[in-house]
Formats: sequence, structure tokens, C-alpha cells
Amino acid sequence: MDLGKFKQILLQVFFLPVLALLLLAAALYVDIRNANSTVGLIQQSDERIAQATMLTKLILDEETGLRGYQTTSDDRFLAPYTNAQTDLKRQFSALENVPGANQSQKDHLEHLRDAYETWQVGFAEPVIATIRGGGQANDVDQNLHGKLLMDAIRSDLGMVVQEAQNLRADRIATWHSQVHIMLWGIFLLAIVMGVLIGLFTRSRLHAVSDAYKNSLEMLKRRADEIYASEQELRTTLTSIGDGVIACDADGCVQMMNPVAEDLTGWTSAEASGVPLEKVFEIVNETTRAVVENPVAKVKRVGGIVGLANHTVLIRKDRTELHIADSGAPIMNIKGEMIGIVLVFRDVTMERRTQDALLANEKLAVAGRLAATIAHEIHNPLDSVSNLLYLMRTGASEEEAKQFMAMAEQELARVTQISRAMLGLYRESKTPVHVDLREMLHEILLLMERRLTDTGVTLHTDMPPGIVVDGFPAELRQVFTNLITNAAEATGRGGAVWVSVAPEPAGLGYGGLRTEAGALVQIRDNGPGIPKEIQAQMFQPFFTTKGENGTGLGLWVSRGIVNKHGGSIRIESDTSESTHGSTVSVFLASKPTMQPGGD
Amino acid sequence: MTESRLVLCVDDETVGLQVRKLLLERSGYRVLTAQDGAGGIEVFEREPVEAVVLDYSMPGMDGGQVASKMREVKPQVPILLLSAYVGLPSDVTSLVNLYMTKGEGPDMLLKKLGDLLKTVPVPENQTS
Repeated sequence: MDLGKFKQILLQVFFLPVLALLLLAAALYVDIRNANSTVGLIQQSDERIAQATMLTKLILDEETGLRGYQTTSDDRFLAPYTNAQTDLKRQFSALENVPGANQSQKDHLEHLRDAYETWQVGFAEPVIATIRGGGQANDVDQNLHGKLLMDAIRSDLGMVVQEAQNLRADRIATWHSQVHIMLWGIFLLAIVMGVLIGLFTRSRLHAVSDAYKNSLEMLKRRADEIYASEQELRTTLTSIGDGVIACDADGCVQMMNPVAEDLTGWTSAEASGVPLEKVFEIVNETTRAVVENPVAKVKRVGGIVGLANHTVLIRKDRTELHIADSGAPIMNIKGEMIGIVLVFRDVTMERRTQDALLANEKLAVAGRLAATIAHEIHNPLDSVSNLLYLMRTGASEEEAKQFMAMAEQELARVTQISRAMLGLYRESKTPVHVDLREMLHEILLLMERRLTDTGVTLHTDMPPGIVVDGFPAELRQVFTNLITNAAEATGRGGAVWVSVAPEPAGLGYGGLRTEAGALVQIRDNGPGIPKEIQAQMFQPFFTTKGENGTGLGLWVSRGIVNKHGGSIRIESDTSESTHGSTVSVFLASKPTMQPGGD
Repeated sequence: MTESRLVLCVDDETVGLQVRKLLLERSGYRVLTAQDGAGGIEVFEREPVEAVVLDYSMPGMDGGQVASKMREVKPQVPILLLSAYVGLPSDVTSLVNLYMTKGEGPDMLLKKLGDLLKTVPVPENQTS
């Protein structure tokens, strides 16, 4: 049930009783009006009775006055008679004008008037005329006649009054029954309406209560689901093989999983509420400098951060572990940071493996170089030993000179090669100036043979005087690797371009600010590298060369370049007409060495 | 002095080839030279070559490829493969009669070439 429907029900429950009350009031009004009109009729009857009584009194006054006049013949006794006469006329018409008379009443009234007029004309007026004429009106018959007439009048009057009283009694009965019906009607109506309102309200309230029950059930289900999902998350977190620490926005530890407890040496209970940097104390492996607090770093970056390489975690018991870690902000729905989650793992074993791999790759490079060098030295040696043989087995002076010159030429080649070889393994502890042109020349000299053997044409654009600071042996390893890759990629009949150019300070790859340095580019026109492979190129053990590659070359190369504070990038094109790959290596002129770069 | 037999030397190293030619000529062979595999095969097909001294590492075709081509044309002609590398793949060494490393010295080369030619009769159509 939505809120709209709920409001509708509330309105219904409010308005229905109001409507019922209005209905009841209307019924009451009609009943009362009916009763009122009955009361009006009763009042009419009362008026009629009063009028008739007044009429009776006046007629009696007339009769009494006439009798006095008959006895005394004095006009003063006749005064009530004459006075009543005017009144009587008015009273008659008043009685006639009282509304609500029925036919019988009208007839009786008519009869009364006739009887009165008969008495007045037939008895009263002749008596008065007789007495005025000085005569006597004591005649028994005449008076008896007058009495009869008067009795008729009395009888009629009685009838009129009686009839009015009867009618009044009827009307009072009507009124009583009306009031009775009204009371019962209202009583029944009230009961019916009450019941109806009750039933209706009950049904509406049932609907509301059902909806409420549903809502409660839904809430409970939601709560159960949330609980289950929380349990699931908790289990997941507990089962994760990496250490996980969650902090609030202030950087205080809120939660640790068992692996994190194990790695840091703190229990979850101990660490709760403790600032992260105390629980998760990390320093740089070589410099021992305290590494930036991940909370601060995540806050600064505002996103996921991979924390510094070569980090050492100092455990609670002050023992140390090599770790790799990353941090990420925990956002609420509004996108505000409410905490930080830190994931880390012990990479001590990994580091050992990595060191072993690096050594392995160095050996592989050395092995390849040894083969090249053997070849390069065997050829001139072969010539020299043949020349010596020729000289020993008898040569003219002229020939001997020529043979010596040839032998010297060949020995010079050997010397050149051995110098280049020495350069390759001259390790230095601190960075030295490296002339890139010189270095690449030496590398290409050693590789020349292999390139021509495989039918690869080499193009170079290496202006003199481009110098960077670095470790020559390592940089040689990088460039040997990259040129070998290019030559192998392009294959027979292909071409490799090697160029060096100064790179002024500015925005480098990915919009990162770079310092001044040099850009070495090695380009080939091989088939190019498909997009799906490009991402894996710098992964260890990734190789496209089958058994001929260790899969470590690019990985190691990138490590070396990073260590030199530089960057390496591959661009490749696999399209029909413009296929090929370019590897660009940026090296800063005066780099800040990253000891952990490899 | 050995009877003048015709040997083909294939090597891309100018100085090495030149010196080897001199060495073999001093030892009484007639020597034809080629500086790459394609040239070597061409001479091999055209001339009545009795033995081949073949360098392994060459631009274009390597010694293995050249030897296999030569076997297709004249399988009876012995081939001596020379290499500056140590340890060539066996599918290459199995193609040729003999395999030796540069630097083993001229005596060894001459001895091995002589041994190899002993197994081959002097061709009847030889023009000497």
C-alpha cells in the first residue's frame, strides 16, 4: 500500500461519519418539520375552540340582556345585547376564517349561523320591537319558541366546540405518533449508520493493518537479507588471502581480517580505534624513510592508490615483512569519503623469486651475448690462424707483409669486440655519464653480425652529445633487448630504425610532467603487436618466442628504465600498410634514481 | 701433393674467405668462392665441384639451408660445414658430411677435407 492510498482511506474514515451525521440531521429536520405542522394544526383547533367559546359567551350575553329587557323594558338592560351584536358578526367571520376547517365543521358553523339568525330575527327582534312599542312580551308560547330556538343554538355551539376538540385530540394523537416514529426512526437510523460506519471503518482499518503487516514483514525480510549479506561479506573478508584493514575517515582502524592480524601482529580488538600508522607502520626498504600514510595518500589522490614499492611493514614485535599494498577510499551514496580500505600481502617470497628471475634473465642475456661474442671472435681468429699457417708454410716477403696486415686487421676487430664486451659488464655503483650514441654504437657493433645474418637492415639516427646519467651495464641490457626484439619481430628482409633525440622538459606520456632528457626510439616494420597482447608485454614470463625467449626481457627492461626514473612505452600498428612497432624509452638527463625501480 | 680437385668455398666474411682460398690453393686444391648462399648454389650447380666448405652463419640463407639445396642437386658431393658457433642444431649437422668449428686451425681443416675427398672418386669428366 502506498502513501496515496493510505491518505485516501484516512479521508474515507473521516468523511463517512460526517456524511452519516448529515443524513441523520436531514431526517431529523424533516420529522421535526412534520411535527411542527401538526403542532400548528393543534393550535388552529385551540383557536377554533376559543372562538367558539367566545361566541357562546356573546350569545349568552345577548340572551341575558334580552331577558332583562323583557322583564324591565329598560333600555339599559338591552345594552349587552346590542353590544354583543357587533362583536358577534366579527366573531362569526373570525370563526369562519380560522383555517383548517373540514366540511362537517363548515356545515355545523353554517347551521349555527342559521340558527342564530333564526333566533334573532324570529324571536329577539320581535320581542324588542314589541316592548319598544309599549307592549308586553310575556307570552309563554312566544318565550317557549325563543327557548327552543336558543336550545338549537346551544346544541350547534356544543357541536362546533365538540368537533374542534375532537379534531384537536386527533391532532395531538398524530403529533404523539409522529414524535414516536421520529424517535424510533432516529434510533434505528443511528444504529444502522453506526453499524455501517463501524463495518466500513473496520474494513478500511483492516486494509491499513494488512499493509502495515506487509511492510513489517518486508522490513524484517530486508533486515534478514542485509544481515545475511553482511555475514557473507564478513566471511569473504575473513577468507581473503590478503590482509585487509578498514579505517574510518580519520584514519583510525575499524576492522581487520585474520590475515591482517597475522601480518601486523595486532589483534583486531587491540587495533580497533588506533590510528592506522601505529598499526600499519611502513618504511622504505632501502632508505628506511617512513612511507606516506596510506590514509593521507588516498585522501590526497581521492581514488585507488597502489602504495610505494619496496615497502617494509614493521610488525608489532618489530620484525619486518616485505609487503605490497594498495588503498582505496570507501564512499557513501553521496560520494563522500567515509573511510579507507587497505589491502596488503606478504611479498617476501615473491621478492626472492623476483630476484631469482632477475638473475636468471641476466644469465640468459649473458648466454646470448657469449654466443654472439664467440661468433664474432671465432671468425677473425680463424682468419688469423689460417694466415699464420700460410706464413709458416712458406710465403714470399711480399705475401708475408700482406698476411701480417690482414692478421692485424682481424686482431683489431677482436680487440674492438672485446672492448665492447668489457663495457657490457662494467658494473658501477653510482650513475655515470652515458653517451647514448656511443653506447648504442657499441651494442650495434656486437649485434651487427646477427642483424645481417637474419637479413635485417639497420637505420640509425644518433646525433652525438646526448648524455644521460645512468648505469651503463643495465642500460646496455635494455637496448640490447629492445633491438634484438625489433630484429626478431621484423624478420628477414625487414628493417630496424634506432634513433636518439633530446627531449625537452614538458608534458610526457599520459600528461605527466617530465624533466629534460633523451628519447631513444627503436622501430621495426614487423607485423606489429595485436592489442590484446600489448597489455601483457611487460608481464614476466610473457613471450612470443616460444622456447627461445625467457619472457623476462621487457619486464626487466621496464624495471631498469623505471629505476632510472624514466619510462618505456610501446606503440604498435598491425594494419596492412603501416604495420610495425615502436618502443620509446625516455631517460632523464639528471634522474633521481629509484632504488626500488626494478 | 694431392691431385688438383675442385673445392667450393662459401663464406660472407671477405677476409676469411680470401685467406681460406689461399690456404686451400697452397694445399693444391682448385678453389671457387661465393660470398653468399645463393651465389654458392649457382656455382655448385654450374661447376663440377667435388667438395664444399660451407660457412654456417651468413646473411640470407644460412649454411643449413644452402646444404639442403645442394643435397637436392648433387647429393653425392661431400659438404664440410664450418661455424663460428659452438653447438649447432642436430638437424643442420645431420645434413652435412662433416661439421667443424672455426678456430680448430688450418691443419684440422685440411686433414678433414682430405679425408672427406678420399671417400669420393675422382670424377671422370674432371678437367685438370
